[in-house]
Order: sequence, then structure tokens, then C-alpha cells
Amino acid sequence: MSSPIRVLTAVPICDGHDSAINTINLEFIRHGIEVVYLGFHRYVGDIVRAAIQEDVAAIGISSYNGGHVEFFAEVVRQLGKRGASDIAVFGGGGGTITQDDATVMKRKGVDQIFFAGTSLADMVEYVRQHYGKRRTQVAKVEGDIALARKLTAIEDSFAQRRRRRNAGSTRRFGPERNSKRARVLGFTGPGGAGKTTLIDELVLRFLQRSPKARIAILSHDPSVVGEGALLGDRATMINSQNDRVFMRSMATRGQSGGLSPATEGCLDLLAHSDFDYVMIETVGTGQEALPFRSTLVDQTVLVMNPDYGARLQLQKIVMLDVADIVVVNKTDLERAKAALLEIEHRLAQNKYRQQIVATVAKRHRDHGVDMLYDLIMQDSTAGVSDRRNQTSERQRAATMKTRTR
Amino acid sequence: MSKLGQVVEAVEKHGQFVLEQVKRARSDEKFGRELSERWQKTKAGIPISHAPTGLPLPRMALPEIDEPGEIARYLFGEGLPGEFPFLNGAYQEMYLEPLERVGIEDGSYGNKKSPNGSQGQKNAARPPEEPTRLFSGLMLAEDTNKRFHFLSAHQRSKRLSTAFDGPTLYGIDSDADGVFGKIGEGGVAVDTVEDMVRLYDGFELGSPDFSASMTISGPAPIIMAMYIAAAKRRFGPSVVPKLRGTIQADIFKEVQAQNETIFPTEASLRFLCDMIEWTTREMPRWYPVSISGYHIGEAGATPVQQAAYTLSNGFAYAEMLAARGIPVDQFAPRLSFFLDCGLDVEYVALARVSRKIWAIGMRDVFGANSRGQMFKLHTQTSGRSLIAAEFKNNLTRTAAELMLAYMNGTNSCHSNSADEPFTTPSEEWIRLAAHGQAILLEESGIFKHTMNMLSGSPGMKAVERAVEKAILDEFHQIEELGGVLAAVENRYQRSQIQNAAHRYERQIYDGTRPIVGLNRYRDGADEMPEIELVRTPRAKQQLQVNRLAKFKKKNAEKAKRALQKLGKVVERGENSFPALLEAAEVCSLGQITSRLQEIVGRFRPMV
Repeated sequence: MSSPIRVLTAVPICDGHDSAINTINLEFIRHGIEVVYLGFHRYVGDIVRAAIQEDVAAIGISSYNGGHVEFFAEVVRQLGKRGASDIAVFGGGGGTITQDDATVMKRKGVDQIFFAGTSLADMVEYVRQHYGKRRTQVAKVEGDIALARKLTAIEDSFAQRRRRRNAGSTRRFGPERNSKRARVLGFTGPGGAGKTTLIDELVLRFLQRSPKARIAILSHDPSVVGEGALLGDRATMINSQNDRVFMRSMATRGQSGGLSPATEGCLDLLAHSDFDYVMIETVGTGQEALPFRSTLVDQTVLVMNPDYGARLQLQKIVMLDVADIVVVNKTDLERAKAALLEIEHRLAQNKYRQQIVATVAKRHRDHGVDMLYDLIMQDSTAGVSDRRNQTSERQRAATMKTRTR
Repeated sequence: MSKLGQVVEAVEKHGQFVLEQVKRARSDEKFGRELSERWQKTKAGIPISHAPTGLPLPRMALPEIDEPGEIARYLFGEGLPGEFPFLNGAYQEMYLEPLERVGIEDGSYGNKKSPNGSQGQKNAARPPEEPTRLFSGLMLAEDTNKRFHFLSAHQRSKRLSTAFDGPTLYGIDSDADGVFGKIGEGGVAVDTVEDMVRLYDGFELGSPDFSASMTISGPAPIIMAMYIAAAKRRFGPSVVPKLRGTIQADIFKEVQAQNETIFPTEASLRFLCDMIEWTTREMPRWYPVSISGYHIGEAGATPVQQAAYTLSNGFAYAEMLAARGIPVDQFAPRLSFFLDCGLDVEYVALARVSRKIWAIGMRDVFGANSRGQMFKLHTQTSGRSLIAAEFKNNLTRTAAELMLAYMNGTNSCHSNSADEPFTTPSEEWIRLAAHGQAILLEESGIFKHTMNMLSGSPGMKAVERAVEKAILDEFHQIEELGGVLAAVENRYQRSQIQNAAHRYERQIYDGTRPIVGLNRYRDGADEMPEIELVRTPRAKQQLQVNRLAKFKKKNAEKAKRALQKLGKVVERGENSFPALLEAAEVCSLGQITSRLQEIVGRFRPMV
């Protein structure tokens, strides 16, 4: 089975018309396409960077506010400038893009414009026909492009030989083993707890306080085998649209537990690709989830929402046994105080030293997020390998507990 | 229970109250007699209007009832136009033929005959409103100014409605990275107070015959400050309390549907409330927020979702303003509404039900007086119902929608141009759109003789009942999620709207939603029609960039100080609007936006 087609969709700067693209995204997904959705009001630079990092076959742009001739052409130009001219650009804008405009746009390198009245089925068919084949490898690529392609190769190797966990050996893709190893932070927790926002706020602090730091983010969204996925985390990340941040969105492609079959390989590659930090975000997880079996994760953060239900529910959340840091986000909610107390009690049952932090990640310059950042930084000075061993030991204990329950 | 929950209770209680009055009218002879007498007196007092054929007709039609219980049901359950709960109209008079009104009206507000069919309704407390208000904005300020003069040339009462370009809507300057190409597209480019001066040049901003409407929400407080600064430059500080108009400023609908928001929701709400607090005190004739369902509808919401979210957003604003200690009678009369009107059957009664729910909520939950209970409504025909394929059919669509809008007693209306699926409307199609209203209101006698000609049919009542129940059910949902703000943050409204939009599209493609010329009676001509496109030439865009550079250079020092002061005021949590007013004199829109974002952060988009 081959890998799903990956496309990136976005709405240009100063344009909030996302109704059409939302519908098209859903239709693409229904037909097995993985869609990295970047959202509305997006700069050309952000779109091009994302397309390269996500190694998509094509970029689809939905434009309704005018200026499309300039905007599309600039996307094509910047792709070329960054050595990624094999990524196709297509799009539409209802009736706002005329035939004459389209002619000019195509001359400037745009692959296809869909006019008003084009059926969703025709669009899907076009994408399948034209963007379905793996592109021929460009001989010499470097930087983000090279890294992105290696990640794709890892994912592809799993798609071809699914369920054999070791199928995707990372060694073939040769991460620079002699380079420094990044600190890997794992974020997990139930859907809607605010993991993405929290990571994005941490990125802001990393960027501000470590002027040279480079960060990688590996983000996950659920998908079923052979079907598409909406990879939408980038759309809500406002601080991570930065040349010092490499972000990759992955679909779980049928694997339960919050990660993709290729995660471990990709994570290993990223950890050895000259980043200072790698942050990995699972999909929204259930109570039994223990996503980070990998010894690659240095520190695990469980992000919780105060609305987890009755106190008894806490006993069932296995991650509470192993997380290094438990973040209770959205503490502006009424239930937050009680939740913090209950979780503290719950953590007291464990033998390990675990930290608990209360945050309101949606708030600009939130003090709680500052504290979390400091905790992470403090920990990075402690012995990393030591901690990694501790973590895996705890994981084992927690796994045993799950089995005997 | 949040205020929204209390509104649901109040509406249900009001329903009970009406039933009790019906019963009482039937059992309590004295009460029943009083009602019957009032009914007879009301009927006898209705003026007679004559059709051109000589046919006499009542200005206001009442149901043919004489039984006290039914009279009670009408008077308490619907109310006469201009009476609680305002089901039949916010004001007691509307849609008069303009020529007949000369001499009735106060001279300063009387209106001449105009090509756009300007009309109004009589009301003792408020100046009459004219129902035709056409939306315009293109290229640079001077171009839009020219269009404004063209549109209002024959109107004595100048009612301008301003569309802004993308960069302005997002609080970005024309010289910002990546916006070249979008300057002046889809609306007018405004970067500074100087643009604002050019935009309304030649209009008497303080005149009772002038009102400006500005369709902008994300940076609304900044644009409002620029408008005031421009007015002061031209007419001196004494003009401020005389300014009339509306600024959209509806942040909730931006987050729920339109996506033009630039600060985090709570910060946006704070700046908005700062502005409302200031304008309702200093500019008593200004409407500082237009609570808009239009964009919710355009984003794909069902009519019921549109009305439910709009009303609940309105109640949420009222709750926030009341919580600030602003007297309800200061702010409630300054809230106005803006709804979409499409071809779905719910639109037969959507605005009627909305008026009723708003009135009951404002009276019984917020304690507003009669003026604060009125749901003052601007309607626009549906843009998304217009399609590119065989686009001349759009004229008919708009005409049908206009009929629905006026059947619902809208206070003002914008009719879309048939060429809207392609471009900023061109003058030819704008004229046709405006004349569509004149044909309905002046040429046809449907509303000008009897203003509520088509109200209250059994079919309309059936729609009313179904729609009211569905709206209250939506309120329950929002209440369950913790109220409007919590629901917004959980992206409840967004996902509901998106689901509805997706269903709509699928229905078009599978044919269960017929669209003539698209999935039915298609004649095969898919060529895009020859239309005159309104595009902003590159030279003009460059001119705007150059002007801005000059402005920034000239005011560099002053801007720095003003921004510093603004920052301090915002940090301290004081009302930001006075400092915004000062900053607007010397800073560009983008400079102010950036300064504010440094302090409160940027909006984090929701997918």
C-alpha cells in the first residue's frame, strides 16, 4: 500500500474566507488525502516554509479577497528560490479569479485554477491524477528540504511494509550521528486540553530567550489506514511560523496509542538533526494511553483539562504515574482549583518526584507557562541519560499496572 | 445560570403570560371588554392610504378578530408595530412612500425623492431611518469618496456604508510585508487619519443628514478613533457629540465565522467595551456595535443558527457592558443588529422572532426601557446565494430576498449586486440592485400602502413557532457549554457553522438543494460573463504605500510618544479609548495594532 497523497491548503494574507477551503479539506480527507491545513490570513513565507517542511506534493490556495495574481506568483517564486519548485501550486477563488487572471497565473507557474462551479469530485480527481505520484528525487537537496524528504522516506517505508515495527530503519537515511542530540520533550493528554497552544507558547519563549536555538516539532493527528487526515495543528500555531522552527505533522495511519508507526524513526532522525529541542505532541489520548515507550523522550509532559470528570477518573489515567510534569491548563475555568488539589493528591501516591503546573496557555505572557518553561530549562541541566533511564523504568512499571488492572 | 439561561426562561414565561392573558380575557368580562374597546379604538385610528387606482387601504393591517381572547393573544403575544414584544416591527411606522411623507416629517429629517428609493419610518423619539444603505469601498480613499458622491448624489440624507480592504480589516499597514496586491482590493485602503479625511471629504460629518457606517471589527476601536480624529480635524472638537453612524465592531461573530480578528478574544472584547463605554457617553447618536448574523449566515450557518448566535452574542455584550457598571439605558439603545436574508424558508419569519426574543430578554433580564428593547435591524440580501454560473439569475434571487426582508419589517436594507460573485460591484449592477429596492417599495404598492401587508399569515405563524423553538434550543446548548464566551473558546459555534456549510455544499452537489443554472436548468454556457472588473492598479497601490511612508516620517517622534502612552494605559488596565484617540492623530493603523499586540498578544486562529 502506498502512502497517502499529502497536500497543504491555506488562505492568503488578509483573507478570512475559509468556508470553501474547509469544505474542500473535508472532501479531500474523505478521499484518502492527507491535508496539512495552515489556516487563513497566511503569509507567503509561512506557506512555503510549511510546504517544504511537510514535504507535500502540492499547495492548494483558496483566495477570495483579491490580489491573487501577485500572491500565487509569489508562492511559486519563493518555492523556486528555496529549491522546492517541484511542489505544485493550485487553487481557486470562486468567481473572483477570472479566466484572464488564470492565464497570467499559469504563465507564472501556477499549475491549476479551479473556477466557480467545479465539483468537489472533479477537484479530488485532479489532485489524485496529478499529485499522486512520488516526485522524482532532486539530486542535491539540503536543509529543511533534505530533512523533510528523509522524514517522508521513513513514513513511506512503513506504509509499504505496515505492522512490522522495525521496517523503517532510520539508519538508511543517515542522520548525522556525530551531531549533538536534541533534548526531546513529549507532550500528551486528552483532546481539547490545549497541548498545541501550550507548545506554541513554549516555542515563543525558546525563541525569545535562546536567540540561536532551533526547535523541531513533531505533531500528530489521528487517521485510519488508507484514509486521509486533517493535520491542522499548524493553523493555530502563531509563534512557530519561524525559520528556526521545523514542524512536521503526522497522521497516525491506523496506529492506536497516540503516535504513528513511523514516529520513532522520525523522532530519532529529528533528535540527531542539529536541533536544540524536539517537541513531540501526541493526538488527544485516552486514560490508558502510554504513548512514549521510546527511550528517546527525555521528559514527558501530561497536559490536562480541569474538566476530567469525577475524581475517580484520575485513578484511571496511567500517564499520571509516569509524566515528569503534569500541566493543568485552562485554570481560568471554575473547576480548576478543585482539579489542582485532586491531581496533587493523586500524584502524592507516586514514588517519583513529579511537578505540577497550572497554566492558562491561551493568555499572552501567562505566568504559569513561564513557570513551565523554567522547569523544563532547569531539568535540561540535570543529567539527561539518567532521567531517560528513570522514565523508561517508570513506563515499565505503569505498563505492568495497566495489564494487571 | 448565565444571562442566556435567564433569557430562555423569560421567553418561556412570557409565553405562559400570554396564555394567561388569553384565558383572563375570556373569563374576566371587564378585562375582555377593555381589550375589545382598545382594539376597536386602535382599528378606528389607523390612517387610510389610497392606491393609485383609488382603492382605500389601512396603513397597518390587523387580523380580523373580535373575540377578546384572540385580541389578547395578538396584543400581548405579538404587539402592534412599535409595541412590546415588537414582533410586528420595532417602530410604529415604516415604509412610507417618500412623496407622501413630505410635510409629515420634521423638516430636518424629511427626505426628497431619491433614485435609490430612500424612505423612512416615522418615530417621535428617533430620527427616521431610510431603508436603502449601499455598501461601497474600493481602491484608495479618494476613489471611494468619488463613489460615495455618485451613490448619494440625489439623496438629501447621506447614508454611506464603508467597506475596507483586507490589510485594513486585519489592522495591517499597506507597506506591510506581503500585502502588495491586496491594497484597495475588496474595499478601501485606510492606513492613517489622513486617509480618513480623504474618504469622507465633502460630506458634513456632524450634520443630522449624514451618517457613516464602517464595516470593520478586528481593529474597530482604532478605526473609530481615526474617524473621530478626522472629524475633529475638519470640523473641530465640537463635532464629536454630533457624529452619527455605525461601526460593526462585532468580535464574537469574527471569532465564530468571519475570521477577521487580530487580538485574543478577551483583549478584543476589552477594547470593544472601552470604546462602547466612551462612545455611548460622548457620542450619544453613534451605534458602536452592529451585532451581526450576516457573516455567520454567509459562512454557512443555517438561518436558525444565525439568529441564535447573533442574539446570544448580543446578550453576551449586554452582560459585559452591564458588568462594567454602564447603565443599561445608556448602552442598550445603542446596540443594533445586522442579519442575512437568503432564500431558505426560515427567513419568512426569522427577523420577527429575533425582535421578540431580544425584547423579552432586554426587558425581563436586563431591565432595559422601551428603546433598549427594540431590535433595530439592518438586513442584507444573501451574498452566498448568488452564484457565478448564469449570474443574471442573481437579480431574481436578490429580488425575492428583498421581499422576505421587508416582510420581516427590516429597518434598513442592502441589496446585493448580481456581479458580486466576481468582483467589487460595478456601477451598472449597483444601480440595478438599488433600483430593485425602489421597484419593490415605490413602484409596487406592496408595502407603501399597508406596511405589514404580508405579515401574520398562518404559514408565517407556523414558521415563527418552529424557528422560536429552535433558537431557544440553541440557547440551551450554549448555556450547557458555559455561556457564549466559553462556547466560543470551545469553538462550538464554529464547528456548528462549518458542519452546516459542508451539508449545504453537499446538497448542492447531490442536487437536493436546487440552484438554477448550476444543478438545474443549466444551459451549458459556462463561460465567465464579460464584466467590468474593479481592480486597484499597481500605481495606485504604490501611491498608498508612498503616502504612508511620508506620514510615518513626518510623525515619527510624536508617534513614538503616543504609542508609549497607549502602552502604559493598556498595561494599567484603564479605559484605552482616550489614549487611542490621541494615537490615531499621529500613528498608522499598523503601528497601533503592533503596539497593542505586544501587550495583549495576537489572535490564535481556530480551525
